[in-house]
Amino acid sequence: MKRISLLTIFCVFCAAFVYGEDRYFEVHAKRFDYTPSIIKVNKGDNVRIRLISEDVVHGLYIDGYEIETSAIPGMDGHLTFIADKSGKFMFRCSVTCGEFHPYMVGYLKVGFNWNLYAGAFLILLLGIGSLTAALKANENSHKKLFGVIPLTWRYELTKFKPVRALLKNRWFPFTFLLFNLFVFVIILIANFVGGYSTGNYNFGVMMVWILWWFLLMTFFVPLVGRFWCMICPFPIFGDWLQRGKLISVGRQKSWGLNKRWPNKWRNLWPLVILFFLSTWFSGFFTVRPLAGGILLVLIIGGAIVISVIYGKRTFCLFVCPVSGFQGLYSNFSACEVRVKNPEICKDHKPKTCVVGDEKGYGCPWMELPYDMNRNTYCGMCMECFKTCPYDNMALNVRPFGTDLVTERKHTDDRYKRRGLDEAFKALTMIGIFLVFFRAYQTPSAHFKDMIRGTTLKGFLTYLAEATVVDFLVIPIIFLLFVFLSKKASGNKEVSLKQVFVNFSYCFVPLGLAIWAAFSVNIILANGSYLLHVFSDPFAWGWNLFGTAKIPWSPFLTGVMPYLQALIILIGLAFALDYGFKFSHQTYANLKEAKKGWAPMLVFLLAVTIFCLWLFIG
Amino acid sequence: MEKREIIAIALFLLATVGTIFGVFAVEKIRRNKLYDFELIARAPEHGNWLPREFTVSYGTEVTILIRNIDTVTHGFAIPQLNVAAREIKAGEAKTVTFAPTQRGTFDFMCTVWCSDRHLEMRGKITVE
Repeated sequence: MKRISLLTIFCVFCAAFVYGEDRYFEVHAKRFDYTPSIIKVNKGDNVRIRLISEDVVHGLYIDGYEIETSAIPGMDGHLTFIADKSGKFMFRCSVTCGEFHPYMVGYLKVGFNWNLYAGAFLILLLGIGSLTAALKANENSHKKLFGVIPLTWRYELTKFKPVRALLKNRWFPFTFLLFNLFVFVIILIANFVGGYSTGNYNFGVMMVWILWWFLLMTFFVPLVGRFWCMICPFPIFGDWLQRGKLISVGRQKSWGLNKRWPNKWRNLWPLVILFFLSTWFSGFFTVRPLAGGILLVLIIGGAIVISVIYGKRTFCLFVCPVSGFQGLYSNFSACEVRVKNPEICKDHKPKTCVVGDEKGYGCPWMELPYDMNRNTYCGMCMECFKTCPYDNMALNVRPFGTDLVTERKHTDDRYKRRGLDEAFKALTMIGIFLVFFRAYQTPSAHFKDMIRGTTLKGFLTYLAEATVVDFLVIPIIFLLFVFLSKKASGNKEVSLKQVFVNFSYCFVPLGLAIWAAFSVNIILANGSYLLHVFSDPFAWGWNLFGTAKIPWSPFLTGVMPYLQALIILIGLAFALDYGFKFSHQTYANLKEAKKGWAPMLVFLLAVTIFCLWLFIG
Repeated sequence: MEKREIIAIALFLLATVGTIFGVFAVEKIRRNKLYDFELIARAPEHGNWLPREFTVSYGTEVTILIRNIDTVTHGFAIPQLNVAAREIKAGEAKTVTFAPTQRGTFDFMCTVWCSDRHLEMRGKITVE
């Protein structure tokens, strides 16, 4: 008897699993919000959704399932499908409904989220791997990446004559810069002509906040470092004013006031603050063409004014809001500009890479190219290739992240490198990510209203929250683990601040990966708007390339969770590998390093699992 | 001045001033050729139709460019003259061409529910 009942239960269970239940949902859509915004069903359920619009025409597209409906007020939309894929899927509005339309999303959660648990398992596996590697580590293990690739490995691209010739030519990178200038003129026209329209059909907004941001986080910064700074068109006006020449080599001394930026601010702090302040208004300039245009004009105007008052690229180094994270994250990048043979430089006087000669300008980024050891302040402008009479500068491909463990040099004190400024840049990038994620990739209508400033009170609350989270909550949680690490290590010599700073570099690879995963969602979902804006940049009814009529079509949304998980895992792998190296650098001996690493390892795993949960859980 | 400097400055001007003038000149020529005039579609709270009233000639074919510079989808119709552009998405531009067959003043309106004040989004066309 007992056996039969068990069998019955099993059969019922199987039947439920195979056939599924009928589930019916009424989803109300109003500007930038679905109610309910989270729909939970079991795998195999037969789901029916009735979409009811309460204000304007809205749509509902489900990622992964790639099905869509739309509703006009008074005329509902219907969707019927079998929930045969498990996991979390975003559903999003498919009919432009207002400036926040691209970010009007909800979640469909189907059955047991295997992806999340598999991802978390892999994260823990990486953690165990890192722990094993750390326990086995000897005095030489910090010299290799993942125990395989020597950190000193370099592949010199400039050993090829054409590459060298290219970098020494004054038309490089000037030609790219001119082309970029042309693109940005189009962007500015689009921003201002577009006025009060919606961002997703605007060339300016799409190019900058969808395409540029994605390229920055996934290709430019991780592969080439400050590649964007090399081709950024904004400083061209200031350079021209300072030099009196556009491309040729004019006077080395600026025609402007040529003041020196105060020593106290010769670090990343101004950029930490300015980037944070500019993200306050992301709810405007990433969705409204006019606001985006105003931001660009402020940046261009700022670049001109600063270049007249201060020397060289002071603006790029210490004022440009997006310069900070590019500088910090480019320490992770796979490219570097370095000296080939320091011995040659020793006897070279005067150092033309610093003071300039008739072939080029002294380093506009005020670095000392002959002694440079980190990427933070190298704008890759390639002037040192032109000024070096011995062809002693090299463009190298290198293992990812070698700058993260670079020892201090005497020149570091000029910029107070590897200090709290860089630590806070790394940590605030995580806080800013949390705000962006909540606003743009979660169904948080209330928060969206706050950041787009529907009420002043809401907006101010958001500013206060963001400030507290970025500058207090996250650093304090991190500090707690730093404290635990120091305690565990048993080292009494090293200062807490040093431990804090050293371990904060774990958030360079991890932060970059989190931002890349965030950007992947945005480009895959909304990249197809680019086809429209390329053909009709000013919304005048042009059709330059015949793509203006292509409708919004999300791309590869089914693969997205896997892609995001993979990116985060790669970031974590680097964070863990370098993390132990930081531990080794921080503490006096290997034994202390191993003990001190454990709390940090736990912290990094927890942060990564949390981020994975945000993306796919 | 060096030759390369002159070329660089020429290219710089082409990329900036040249692009701006080029874009607007091309647009002006294009509009003169293709459209008789432009009608901007915006929800009432964003400024409503611009212009709200316009006049066309009886029997003469007229082409109107309707630009939706708003954040939501709009439509356009003059029911009495049997003219319509059913759906114009945000950021989109559509043209309607017609030769008015009746004299008088008629309403034109938005045909897509675009805001709470959608019903106010209308204007007048006079056929002389």
